Amino acid sequence: MAASDEVNLIDSRTVVPLNTWVLISNFKLAYNLLRRPDGTFNRHLAEFLDRKVTANANPVDGVFSFDVIIDRRINLLSRVYRPASPDQEQPPSVLDLEKPLDGEEIVPVILFFHGGSFAHSSANSAIYDTLCRRLVGVCKCVVVSVNYRRAPENPYPCAYDDGWIALNWVNSRSWLKSKKDSKVHIFLAGDSSGGNIAHNVALKAGESGIYVLGNILLNPMFGGSERTESEKRLDGKYFVTVRDRDWYWKAFLPEGEDREHPACNPFSSRARSLEGLSFPKSLVVVAGLDLIQDWQLAYAEGLKRAGQEVKLMHLEKATVGFYLLPNNNHFHNVMDEISAFVNAE
Amino acid sequence: MKRGHVETWDPPPQPPSGSGPSMADNKSKMAADDSNMDELLAVLGYKVRSSEMAEVAQKLEQLEMVLSNDDVGSTVLNDTVHYNPSDLSSWVESMLSELNNPASSDLDQTRICEDSDLRAIPGLSAFPAEGEVVDEEASSKRIRLGPVGSWCDAAGESTRSMVLVDSQETGVRLVHALVACAEAIQQEDHNLADALVKRVGTLAVSQAGAMGKVATYFAQALTRRIYRAYMTTETDFSGGSAVGPSFEEVLQMHFYESCPYLKFAHFTVNQAILEAVTTARRVHVIDLGLNQGMQWPALMQALAVRPGGPPSFRLTGIGPPQTENSDSLQQLGWKLAQFAQAVGVEFEFKGLAAETLSDLEPGMFETRPESETLVVNSVFELHRLLARSGSIEKLLATVKAVKPSIVTVVEQEANHNGIVFLDRFNEALHYYSSLFDSLEDSYSLPSQDRVMSEVYLGRQILNVVAAEGSDRVERHETLSQWKTRMGSAGFAPVPLGSSAFKQASMLLSLFAGGDGYRVEENDGCLMLGWQTRPLITTSAWKLGGAAVEMTR
Repeated sequence: MAASDEVNLIDSRTVVPLNTWVLISNFKLAYNLLRRPDGTFNRHLAEFLDRKVTANANPVDGVFSFDVIIDRRINLLSRVYRPASPDQEQPPSVLDLEKPLDGEEIVPVILFFHGGSFAHSSANSAIYDTLCRRLVGVCKCVVVSVNYRRAPENPYPCAYDDGWIALNWVNSRSWLKSKKDSKVHIFLAGDSSGGNIAHNVALKAGESGIYVLGNILLNPMFGGSERTESEKRLDGKYFVTVRDRDWYWKAFLPEGEDREHPACNPFSSRARSLEGLSFPKSLVVVAGLDLIQDWQLAYAEGLKRAGQEVKLMHLEKATVGFYLLPNNNHFHNVMDEISAFVNAE
Repeated sequence: MKRGHVETWDPPPQPPSGSGPSMADNKSKMAADDSNMDELLAVLGYKVRSSEMAEVAQKLEQLEMVLSNDDVGSTVLNDTVHYNPSDLSSWVESMLSELNNPASSDLDQTRICEDSDLRAIPGLSAFPAEGEVVDEEASSKRIRLGPVGSWCDAAGESTRSMVLVDSQETGVRLVHALVACAEAIQQEDHNLADALVKRVGTLAVSQAGAMGKVATYFAQALTRRIYRAYMTTETDFSGGSAVGPSFEEVLQMHFYESCPYLKFAHFTVNQAILEAVTTARRVHVIDLGLNQGMQWPALMQALAVRPGGPPSFRLTGIGPPQTENSDSLQQLGWKLAQFAQAVGVEFEFKGLAAETLSDLEPGMFETRPESETLVVNSVFELHRLLARSGSIEKLLATVKAVKPSIVTVVEQEANHNGIVFLDRFNEALHYYSSLFDSLEDSYSLPSQDRVMSEVYLGRQILNVVAAEGSDRVERHETLSQWKTRMGSAGFAPVPLGSSAFKQASMLLSLFAGGDGYRVEENDGCLMLGWQTRPLITTSAWKLGGAAVEMTR
């Protein structure tokens, strides 16, 4: 056992920069602790360890942010990121926060769902605050990051419900309308569990007549009962294990459910067909060293077979979390693709 | 966004060959060199020196090995107290140490039952399990956590954290008028300001909820500023007449009851004190602002149930000058003595009246360093001294001179001391809006408590907005600003850990509207906030520098 552990560790050290390795290994270590052996989750320690940042209405690198309670009933908070207007002399006052979008061009609004396998992180986690700021910078868009309720305390369907509330909120903000056509140009995006949430919110949007222009799924979290080839081959090799994946599904899915539940496997025999449904075009990014890639690739395939528009980016040498640090080519390539994707019209 | 120069990364570095000068020398040099921090990780909240990256990676691997071979390790680490997770190197190191020197004791002593009564919590949590490291090694482990004067987020840059409640759209006109009025004052256009403040008053009356209340207080404060017609008793908090201070104390009591901020402050500070005096037989606390002494019964109770018996507890409480026919300090001392007797703690009290804290001299405290462990406590007191030049430095020098084992500090987390009025105004508007918002949610509380709390906060607003010079005592500053001051004065941080964090979180969940309250760990300090906006910060300090005498 020890020898192959050593091989695992050396392998992962050669495929990512050292600081990325340290960052993701730190998360792996912390997360292993938080998932207690007795099946419970150490939420207090999780919140203690999570590095958070406040919103900042003073622009930093051309981006400012503020938080909004979008549903007081369930205390649902979202963080809004906006590009600062170049001609603005003073920092935005509270009146500028919800000022209507400027300019003649369309400004995409990305509704973002952070990752964390449904259990970890928050909208104000430093890793996600940073990612959202980078998205605004690259795409010249507005980002709304949803602080959805997490498992195991709030399992399925809480996260989806919160995403749906957030979508309705974004859709009804007059100040998020682009001047050009007085419409809110909405994209859904997320990494890991956030990608899964984006998919499910898009499904509901299609049924309810809210027009979502596109889905961006970064290493989306999907699964199924079967053990796929990639899960067997990559188990424990690049920061993630099948065992931890199982734990998170168990924490999120309803009691007694297995991983053929549509929330986990959107193309299982139990899931509704996507054929003929109103569904946005999708950009699906898959990391080649992510052990659940077979499920992610199957997802993209499934969309295609159902006649939905999908662009797949399969990054052979990327691991989970590659997008958290801008120190590799994958990061930049993906950011460029996302920018092209949301600015396509 | 930096693009051009970022390429694929360098291959993993070769292990360092035995370098010339001793590694110890290099390490201490690097301790002072903050520019060596990995920038990318720093943005994500982790402080790791680039030069240490390989070593940290190695420790992470080591820890993984140990954990994978040992089922109990994970449980141990769940129950252990964690400190300062931003300092990755020390955090990983402390976990390795913990696993290599396992506590032989009953772990349940440190585990808190979810439904245990709050009174019992301080007693349970603060005391380490038998065998858990309280010895030299642990103390030196603590000292090693984070270099002195460690890396601060750019103390020069200001951060404006705003949380809007969705009803913002209806309050826009009100906020507009408030800000416009403040702008007019900034431009010294008092006619315009006067007209605008009247408009604010009108709008505020028809604005429901927290926004309306906050706006009313700000409008009053703005009016006062415009006319500069305020009475001494309302703005002079550092001394004042017989009427002023005790009314203030009454208000504070209601504030204490109605929302968790003061309770949180006292609670987290008491945790830090308890951890610092675990083996002390005699404890002396100097409270820089005794007020109603609400902090001390809980501490005495926790000391009383300490395994091995309570230490003796001496309290020196500082308050404003007493009037001829009342000695509230002494009376308070008597009340606390009665309480101490009831819980079985040997107690001694001395009241010290001072016009201002900078009048204090080390000799006044009659410290007994050979037998007592000394604690200096300041809850919302330090910022007042910023109103007079040299005062804070004088006080900190006095505190340093009495050689406390620990200095506990609670301050508002806001920058209400900027030079530009308009900036202060905007900061304060958002800060107090958050505070009032949080009160609003405490719907199940007696309304008198809430109203009095609002009055209590209203007086702070008045001072921040309308007062100037030495009258303006509500000069709140942020943690990074206080860190710089404390560092310059020769103090080093003592991190507050995951145990205090958890206790504080559990305390908060007991409050109605508890959903919105959050505790956050920030660089060894604990911040209490409403939603994502930090409002209060608790920090702990010790004398910095190499030669620290541990007089226990």
